[in-house]
Amino acid sequence: MNVTPYRIILCDGTACINSGARALATALREQLERHGLTEQVTIGLSGCLGMCDKGPILVVNPGYTIYGRVTEKDIPEIVQEHLVKGQPIARLAIQEDHLYNRFFRVFGDAKFFGKQMRITLRNCGIIDPENIDDYLSLRGYEALAKAVGEMTPEQVVAEVEKSGLRGRGGAGFPTGRKWKLTAAEKATPKYVICNADEGDPGAFMDRSAIEGDPHTVVEGMAIGAYAIGASQGFIYIRAEYPLAIRRIRRAIDDARAHGLLGQNILGSNFSFDIEIRLGAGAFVCGEETALIHSVEGARGMPRPRPPYPAVAGLYGQPTVINNVETWANIPVIILDGANWFRTVGTETSKGTKVFALAGKVVNTGLIEVPMGTTLREIIYDVGGGIPSGKCFKSVQTGGPSGGCLPEQYLDTPIDYESLVKAGSIMGSGGMIVIDEDSCMVDVARFFLEFTQDESCGKCTPCREGTKRMLEILTRITDGKGQPGDIEKLERLGGMIRKSSLCGLGQSAPNPVLSTIKNFRPEYEEHIHEKKCRAKVCKSLLHYEIIEKCVGCGACRRVCPVGAITGAAKSRHTIDQDKCVRCGLCFNTCKFEAIAKA
Amino acid sequence: MPTPLELIRKKRAEAVGRIIGKGYLSTKRVYVGMATCEIAAGSKDVMDVFQKAVSRGLTDVYLSQKGCAGRCNLEPTVEVIEAGKSPVKYGRVDRERAQQIIDRHLKNGEIIQEWVID
Ligand SMILES: Cc1cc2nc3c(=O)[nH]c(=O)nc-3n(C[C@H](O)[C@H](O)[C@H](O)COP(=O)(O)O)c2cc1C
Ligand code: FES
Repeated sequence: MNVTPYRIILCDGTACINSGARALATALREQLERHGLTEQVTIGLSGCLGMCDKGPILVVNPGYTIYGRVTEKDIPEIVQEHLVKGQPIARLAIQEDHLYNRFFRVFGDAKFFGKQMRITLRNCGIIDPENIDDYLSLRGYEALAKAVGEMTPEQVVAEVEKSGLRGRGGAGFPTGRKWKLTAAEKATPKYVICNADEGDPGAFMDRSAIEGDPHTVVEGMAIGAYAIGASQGFIYIRAEYPLAIRRIRRAIDDARAHGLLGQNILGSNFSFDIEIRLGAGAFVCGEETALIHSVEGARGMPRPRPPYPAVAGLYGQPTVINNVETWANIPVIILDGANWFRTVGTETSKGTKVFALAGKVVNTGLIEVPMGTTLREIIYDVGGGIPSGKCFKSVQTGGPSGGCLPEQYLDTPIDYESLVKAGSIMGSGGMIVIDEDSCMVDVARFFLEFTQDESCGKCTPCREGTKRMLEILTRITDGKGQPGDIEKLERLGGMIRKSSLCGLGQSAPNPVLSTIKNFRPEYEEHIHEKKCRAKVCKSLLHYEIIEKCVGCGACRRVCPVGAITGAAKSRHTIDQDKCVRCGLCFNTCKFEAIAKA
Repeated sequence: MPTPLELIRKKRAEAVGRIIGKGYLSTKRVYVGMATCEIAAGSKDVMDVFQKAVSRGLTDVYLSQKGCAGRCNLEPTVEVIEAGKSPVKYGRVDRERAQQIIDRHLKNGEIIQEWVID
């Protein structure tokens, strides 16, 4: 029999499970076996598909037929009519013209996307980002039209507030409340700013979002400007992102040509335009007050808050500043509604979060999952687990402002509060998986080196404190750690946290403090036993040539300091005093005759 | 005066018309990933192969670029989408694979299973 190789997706979200999704899977398998279709038809599970009120949900691809309120009794009919005869069943099909679920039509059949839900990345990887027609054809700018045509600014603010959306740039401040505060200010002009500085090392969420779907950000900003009464917007993006800059510039030009930016947008009284400002790539310029200084043409240094930008922002005027991902949520909230948006996520954190999944996982890449997804689901289901049979050690979230969580926190659901409780932060979306081959002291040192380097130097705790902490960490990894160093790090860290001027300093000690909390024995081994269990810290390593040596001389020839001696065809030796532990001999030896300890 | 919503619906209809005019309904749609990550992995070369093939007379194909779908470790990626069939996604495509995709898949309908991402 020649049957289309269908892929069936069963929603495995909480609501659908409660309404009986799991029983459907069993029934489906039974029916497939009866028809001898187990080879051709595959079954996949997905996270919540955002249609909970119509659950359980079953999707048939290709064709993207969505069946809702499916019961076990319907399964034989679905298999017989749809899968065998190719006749979708109208009675069960539901029409959901949500903005967000479009990606599923194209990607819904890949395992990688199973637990994902793409709201802000809904068009990423689907449309041509340089063609406004592609965006328009997927209901692009309809949310803007709805806002300016059918809603008052107050209604837009209220809708965003009701949605529960919180800032995706790190701090998680409620977006609606920020807008409301700014809208209430009397002073004009007002401004909106998109923060695309993205300074975290290894993060690429905002870059990819802009490169994949720049119009979403433009549309979100226009809606925000309408809501608070601004007529000028700025996108602050780092100069190292040339492709993203080219695409957002193109998007702005095309939108203007279509009357979607500029004077009297879509025939309304609302006028708004966007300019691009390039940043030179300083981490601190992502901090909102420093960013505002930078846009003004001054040096990118933070200032104490309050006053918050909502009251006195760009050029001293009321300003809303939001992250790229925050803006990208806005069109969906306006079109699909706050009520729908609230159904996704957890009690305190609504919607989804984009992560740049990196480090020791099989599937590295850009992912978007509903809030409430656990770290384990992200690393093992979406990320495919740890490669080459290694053991999981830790997951780092929040970049240089975040922390490292060990295995016992893997079942932590992703939301702002739970991650803080576990000892890390949500941050802007960096997620680095660390396996047994990494040294936690070295990881902490890496992040601190970054923040120390990026500290703008305005306040003493951050400028001097991070330097002292880095000295101590470096000495520990160099094998010169002293008893009491851990306590010193803790004391310094606590002080920097409390007394720094801006978020950079306040969060800089986090990677150190969280690794001390969760991996203290590793610090102690470095200090007291001069041992690095991951074999990363060079000064603590020790190379030795063992009996397997055949005397080929390869190691002798690569050693840059002449520490290896020995006659041809006899076992060589390493002079430990001369050895600089570069590891070249270890990498060169073909006979595994060099031991690393 | 048309309302903003009416205006945007008209714009959408026009946009769809233009996309179709460019051959969207051709039997096969080919999307080449062109984000910074994809380009770093070599997708410009891949795009070049497809573009040359189209200019040399490969028909029934709608060629387009797309942003990052998140499969960084498998890039460059190429998708072939045909109405009524599951989309086929190829990973780690280079010039050589691109040419094979053209010769075997686009011209002969053969899905080259070993490069498919699932
Ligand atoms: C040191 C530092 C760096 C920051 N970097 C960024 C950044 O790269 N992107 C960003 O959106 N927010 C960054 N923030 C947060 C911003 O100050 C601000 O909270 C955010 O842009 C507000 O937008 P949201 O409410 O949409 O998150 C940073 C904060 C600090 C303290
Ligand atoms: S749990 Fe299935 S749609 Fe929400």
